[in-house]
Amino acid sequence: MGLGIMDKARIYSPWVYHLHCGGCNGCDIEILAALAPRFDAERFGIQLVGSPRHADILLATGCVPKQFIPMLKRVYSQVPEPKVVIAIGGCACGGSLFYEEEPENYAILGSADLAIPVDVYVPGCAAKPEQIVNGIVQGILKLAEKKRGVKTEPVVVGPPPKEGERVPAPAPAPAPSAAPGSNST
Amino acid sequence: MSAPARILRKVIRKYSRPMTLSYPSTAMGEKRYSQIPPKLRGIPERDLEKCIGCKACYYVCSGRATTPVMVDGKLVMQINLSRCTFCGHCEEACPEEAIKMTPRFELAVRDKTRPEMFVETTLDMAVCACCGRPFIAQKQLKRSFERLNEKIDKSVRDEVAADFRKVEQYCPECKRARSVGLDTHTKKHVWVEGA
Repeated sequence: MGLGIMDKARIYSPWVYHLHCGGCNGCDIEILAALAPRFDAERFGIQLVGSPRHADILLATGCVPKQFIPMLKRVYSQVPEPKVVIAIGGCACGGSLFYEEEPENYAILGSADLAIPVDVYVPGCAAKPEQIVNGIVQGILKLAEKKRGVKTEPVVVGPPPKEGERVPAPAPAPAPSAAPGSNST
Repeated sequence: MSAPARILRKVIRKYSRPMTLSYPSTAMGEKRYSQIPPKLRGIPERDLEKCIGCKACYYVCSGRATTPVMVDGKLVMQINLSRCTFCGHCEEACPEEAIKMTPRFELAVRDKTRPEMFVETTLDMAVCACCGRPFIAQKQLKRSFERLNEKIDKSVRDEVAADFRKVEQYCPECKRARSVGLDTHTKKHVWVEGA
């Protein structure tokens, strides 16, 4: 059957909204460098928009603080379907320096996938602009698989967690295989 | 050619072509592919032969990315690349120079638990003869004995080797409990000046 014109438009010119969720701003600067002429992401039709309601792809950077959770969920629900979330930088992927499982931090939640569902992870500190472009291209490939009309579960926006309230822990890393000589990279 | 003309020529040459780097493809030739310096700190890689499982990289890691995990009685040093900051502290701290930061940086994944995101090294553990718990990696025990042997005076090497054989099979707690019964030499001229 082939792709309809709306699906093609989504793949050939994905619009991007950049959301800074807390953190050092290193990855934000690298995103702007990726959109500058040197590492040109605009070759792929990517355009930075000023409102999440106009966007296809949400770029989340930085380690998420607990007070930012309702704002992050609100922005996520404002991006129209079908959407792709790309977590850029080590902090947004896995929390990096700022996240500890125990004792639980009073202010930091952790990586972005504890609050919203994330589709592509681009680790690095800061993520190189070439790598951000690579991640966005993988996000576009994932967007091509999502058709119009397929709804995902709505995200409930609530108040930030109170002090002492336990937030859900992330899924633990998979148990490593005990095969000798497994130096997989 | 006069200086202003030289400058003008340079400027015209530099800006007459687009300055975009053709990153995903090499269509414009290798020179404009990407800016990757050879000493770039990218994905860390561990040499299997050299790692002794001393956990120095774990103690020094900024992002708590390297963790020692016990799997089936073996020690696995696992680097979680989604938490790594690629700072290079593990490379500095490693006593055997087993970890090196390679210039590879391509790591975008859809699923964080894929095996590409983990760098794993498996080591066999030595078990305490008294309480039966694994307490140290076998390579670390061997290597610490080798290092000790390098530094001590030749005249006392046999004594030190005999003492080592007596104590190497016990974990620190059992060693402390049995320290009276183990007949080790207490006074030795161990260090040679300048060695």
